[in-house]
Amino acid sequence: MRSGWLVVLSLLTAVGAIAGYSQLLRVPAVRNQPEGYVAALAIATTIAALAVALGRRWYAWATLVVSLVLLLGSATFNFVLARIPEPRTTLRVGERPLDLTLPDADGRLVSLADYRGQKPVVLVFYRGYW
Amino acid sequence: MSEAEKAGVEIVAVSPDPNARSHEMAQRLHLGYRFVADADLAVTRRYGLVHVRGGQSGEDVPIPTTVVLDRDGVVRWLWISNNFQVRPDPADVLRAVRALPAA
Repeated sequence: MRSGWLVVLSLLTAVGAIAGYSQLLRVPAVRNQPEGYVAALAIATTIAALAVALGRRWYAWATLVVSLVLLLGSATFNFVLARIPEPRTTLRVGERPLDLTLPDADGRLVSLADYRGQKPVVLVFYRGYW
Repeated sequence: MSEAEKAGVEIVAVSPDPNARSHEMAQRLHLGYRFVADADLAVTRRYGLVHVRGGQSGEDVPIPTTVVLDRDGVVRWLWISNNFQVRPDPADVLRAVRALPAA
């Protein structure tokens, strides 16, 4: 295969990895396997390296550099920056947690005790807007 | 999670975000959530669910966590994220809710 086609394939794979992940964030299977975009960028880098091997053109080298930077960046983000250290949570399955009392949007106080004997509760802790 | 509402479950969502914004999001997404604000993370910290300096500008942020409590307020299912990109699969949460004993 010609070097130029491999360059195109590498770039398409890299763009597809990033666009695919960000567009499909609402799909749990995609969102929860962020290793997927790192793997796709590793493939893009491999294809770019093949392109360089086949024809040492400047654009093949440029594609290799771009895909390598994206690969290292995404790997650092996913495996280092996005990691959350093991929490020392007080929650235990089979135990009743400490109660909480917090205000809702209208200033009304909400407690877990309000629901006891009434209905199950799904308690969600989240970081903010997302 | 309209299925969760049908199942007779209350979803209580805790975040340090100002309530107004969360409320806006709830309306936009048509979610039947009860949003509560833990502005200073005092409650989140008491639960041991703070990622110290995990925020974008080095601030403390909550660790994404989902807990299913039965009618007696006992924890029946617990999911704590180890990567802030990852959230529980809603299907798993629903399964845990459905596995609770009926009233």
